[in-house]
Parts: sequence; structure tokens; C-alpha cells
Amino acid sequence: MPRPSDSLQRLIEEFTRLPGIGRKSAQRLALYILKLPAGEVREIAGALLDLKEKMKYCSVCWNFTETDPCPICSGPRRDPGIICVVEEPNDVIAIERTSEYRGLYHVLGGCLSPLEGIGPEELRVRELLPRVGKGVGEVILALSATIEGEATTIYLTKLLKPIGVPVTRLARGISVGGDLEFTDEATLARALEGRVAV
Amino acid sequence: MVLSELSIKNFRNHTHTSIECCRGVNFLLGNNGQGKTNIIEAISYLCLTKSFYAGSDTLVPKFGEGMFEVEGRIVSDGGKPFVVRVAYLRETNEKVFMINGRRVPTLSSVIGKFPIVIFSPEHGSVTTGGPSERRKFLDMVISQSSRAYFKDLLGYRSVLRQRNRVLLDMKLGRQGGNGLLAPWNEQLAALGSAVWWKRHTFITEFSPVVRSVYSHFVDIEERPFLEYRPLGGREFPATQEELSAVFLEILAARENEERRFGTSLVGPHRDDVALTLDGRDLRSYASQGQHKTFIISLKLGEFLYLKSRCNETPLLMLDDVFAELDDARTARVIAYIERVGQAFLTSTHRNPIESWDMNRTEYRTIFIDGGAVAEQKTVVHA
Repeated sequence: MPRPSDSLQRLIEEFTRLPGIGRKSAQRLALYILKLPAGEVREIAGALLDLKEKMKYCSVCWNFTETDPCPICSGPRRDPGIICVVEEPNDVIAIERTSEYRGLYHVLGGCLSPLEGIGPEELRVRELLPRVGKGVGEVILALSATIEGEATTIYLTKLLKPIGVPVTRLARGISVGGDLEFTDEATLARALEGRVAV
Repeated sequence: MVLSELSIKNFRNHTHTSIECCRGVNFLLGNNGQGKTNIIEAISYLCLTKSFYAGSDTLVPKFGEGMFEVEGRIVSDGGKPFVVRVAYLRETNEKVFMINGRRVPTLSSVIGKFPIVIFSPEHGSVTTGGPSERRKFLDMVISQSSRAYFKDLLGYRSVLRQRNRVLLDMKLGRQGGNGLLAPWNEQLAALGSAVWWKRHTFITEFSPVVRSVYSHFVDIEERPFLEYRPLGGREFPATQEELSAVFLEILAARENEERRFGTSLVGPHRDDVALTLDGRDLRSYASQGQHKTFIISLKLGEFLYLKSRCNETPLLMLDDVFAELDDARTARVIAYIERVGQAFLTSTHRNPIESWDMNRTEYRTIFIDGGAVAEQKTVVHA
């Protein structure tokens, strides 16, 4: 196979490093960019740099933001009495999409995983504790339903309960529109466990 | 279920081999090193998504080839046809499993769908070897009959790895926070007690099955027994919730010891099953012949157990297991298996049907030579 030019090759390599992008997609993206007018390419490049230069962590909730504190933390219509603890900024976006939640967030930056060297020190646990002291009526633990997410939930619960703040966690069960028949045993068992009165 | 056709490409020493199989006993015949066991291994890929003995897929493609393919036509007991296909690409270490043209999302979802029992000379270590051999046997049988068990087991292993790291870090003084063990303890106890509970239930049901099979192969009265005591001298609790509480209790009592060793000392990963014959430990007292009869009974017991649990007759693979048995005992085993379902037997015998004095009228003989089929035919036995 003849070798494509070095600059094209370099861009393909860079794209392959992105999450969810394989070799073929990277190639398609790179060739697409090659065909674009120079102005549009400059727009894309500018947007990338802009993002990196302007975005920083919110000093309250540790989400990404352009202003500190972030629009959610400083939002007049948000309820500061509820804090929802999530793993990553992605999770904030997911919960915001529901338009159901009016409280604030706390982004941990991951969950406990001793094998990867991630302990409480590597997460923003220390930053969470002073937040729950003042006038917070509920902490919602919205972490992944994996063993690492579960361990983090247990760890935080043991930490927060003594402070006297009510701690809740997300319900686990059957997805909306999901068929009971095709739900796996573990999920079904959890759903039974977490059944609610009607 | 019945495997009616098998086609393999670039698999071990086979370039492209296709065989047709009969519903009863299929003999894979040929000299040593010709590729008989590779056929059994290919069938294990269809049912278990992996080799029954090789730990990794990377050496399975034929030398110099980057991928292998296995395709089989399976008909379930209810008459439903399946085309099952496994392809493995060495470069990306990717394995694609397809059922009727649709890719299955996770390999683990296949386990138990097409039950299989494989008996090869290495399985002798179940009765002669250490506890891990018996745990492997338990896990293989229960996982095929209960997906929930398989999931619990995988979950337990993940928690165990994380927890062992915490203990090791503590031992080496890298991290000593007291709250770090608790999150893993709760999950270890929940998943570990689920595994204990299912193993306990299984042994209770399985031991009588083994005893009944065993009685077919011996003329004298000998009573085999499987005993499972994960809690040592302590009585096994009546409910799984109690068991989970006991698990946590033992963890608390042994925490200092675990910290000293830097690893988990309590749980299903330390289990053993005692195999006894007339109340005496098999490993210390049994003769070679008794060991062999015991392992055959375990394997055929596995077959009967899976058949009743999965509502599907498993495939039975007997790889070179008659080499060490005398002809009379072999004949008994074959007389037994030809009643129960489809079986695949490998042997270096040229003419097993006559040597073993078989009763049924139809068999299939498939001669394998140098990674190819030299001859395959259905033999009608007068």
C-alpha cells in the first residue's frame, strides 16, 4: 500500500486517539477536513483552541465552565439545598437533559478503583465535605451501577451519614420502554428490591 | 441439541475441514497429532466461546494465518435451527460470535445457551489435583446452568481483585485509610455469599446424580459422595441473607490476618469440595480405577444435571479418555452414553465399533489425517 503524506498521516493518528474513533473513521474525518475550504478548517481549529483556553473547573462543583462559579452553581433558580454527586461532567449533561433536576452538582472525577490507583485522595471527596455542612437537605449519589460505582456509593454514604445529611441514591431497575421478559436477572432483582408503593 | 454440521477454517492444523455428524455417537479417528482434539476444541468455541483448554486465542489460528473461523449448524431439542459462527482476528484480538447472522453483544450471554460437557485426560485432575481444579469444575457446570451464577462469579472476581489491591497497599503501607476496606467488604459478602449459596445448592442436588451414575460402572457396592463445607466446622445458614451476615462476621474476625498477608483469605475463591468413597477421602485412599470411575461419573453426572437444568441435551465430548480404560469398562461407558444423546469421541483405534462390542445400528466414523478429513461415513452395524 502506498504511504499517504505525512501531514495527512499525522492528523489520522491524532483522530484515532479520540474516544470512539477507530482507524477508518479517523481516515474519513481527516479526508473530509482536507476537502473543506481553509476558512472552515480555521473555524474548527479555533473552536478547539478556544475550548481549551476558556474552559476551566468550577471551584464549587468541579464541572467544566467558562465562568467561575459555573452557571449552574450561580443560577438563581437552582436549589442549593440538594447536591447530586456524579462521576464525570458527562453525567451532569445527561441529568440536565432530563430537565427534572433543580439542585446543584458535585463532580467527583471518577470512582474508587484501587487497581487503577484511584483512592479518595484522587477524587474530589475532600471538596465535597465542606459543601454538605451548610443548609444542604439532601445528597443524591448518582454513580454508575458497576462494582466500582457501588464501592464509591458505600464509601460516601459512610462518610456523609455521620454528618447528619440525608443521603439517597438513584433507583436501579427496568429501563423505560423495556420489556420485562428481556431484562436480565440482576436488574430484575434490583427492580424488585427497589419496588415502590402505588 | 444436535450438531449436524461443522466447518472450520485456519483452525490449528486444519486449513478447511467440514464434517457432517450423526445424532448418536461420532468417532473422530486417526493417529496422534492429526487434529482430532482440534475438532473438539472448535466445537467448544461454538458452545463456550472459547477453547476448553487453551488459556488464550492467539495461538489457535493456523500457523502463519491471522484469523480462524468456526461455523456449526445446531438443532435444539425443540427442533429450532441455529447457525452459530465464531471468527477470531489475531491482529485486533477480536472475537465475533454470531447466531443466525446476528452478532451477540457480549460473549458471556452465550454461556449456557448451547450446553456442552467435555471430558479430556486433563480432567483427571478434578479428583487427583488441588482445590482449584474442583472449583473450576463447579464453576463450569453451574455457570452453564445458571447465568445469574456466572454473573455473580464474574462480579465476585472483580471485587476480589480490587479488594486484594487495597489489602496489598495496606500491607506495603502505601495507603492506610481505615474506611477503604468497607466498600469492598459489603460487595464481597453480597456476591460471595450468592456464590456460596448456589454452590451449596448445586452440590446437594448433584451428589445423588453422581452416585446413581457411578453405580452403573461398578458391580460392587461403593458409595461416592461430594461434601461442601465452605464455613469449615460452622453450620451452613438456612438463608442467603444469614450467609451474607456470616460472611461479614468472618471478614471482621480475620481482618488483621488479611492485612498482614495483604490478600483476601475468606470466600469462594478458597473453597474446596471433598470427594469421598464410602466415607473415605478419594485422594488419599482410592485406586487408579476408582479415580477413573469417579471422574467419569462426575462428567456424566454433569451431563445429566445440565440436561435437566437447561432443558436442552448437552453435547458430550470425550477426548481420548478410553486410552487408559480397559475394553470392558469402555464398552459400559459407551453403552451408557449412546442412550443419552449426541457424543463425539476421539480415539486412535482403527475399528472401535468392533473392539467395543457396540449395540446400536448406526454410527459415524470420521478419519482425520494431517488436519483434514481423510474419510467420513455412516456405519451401519449389523
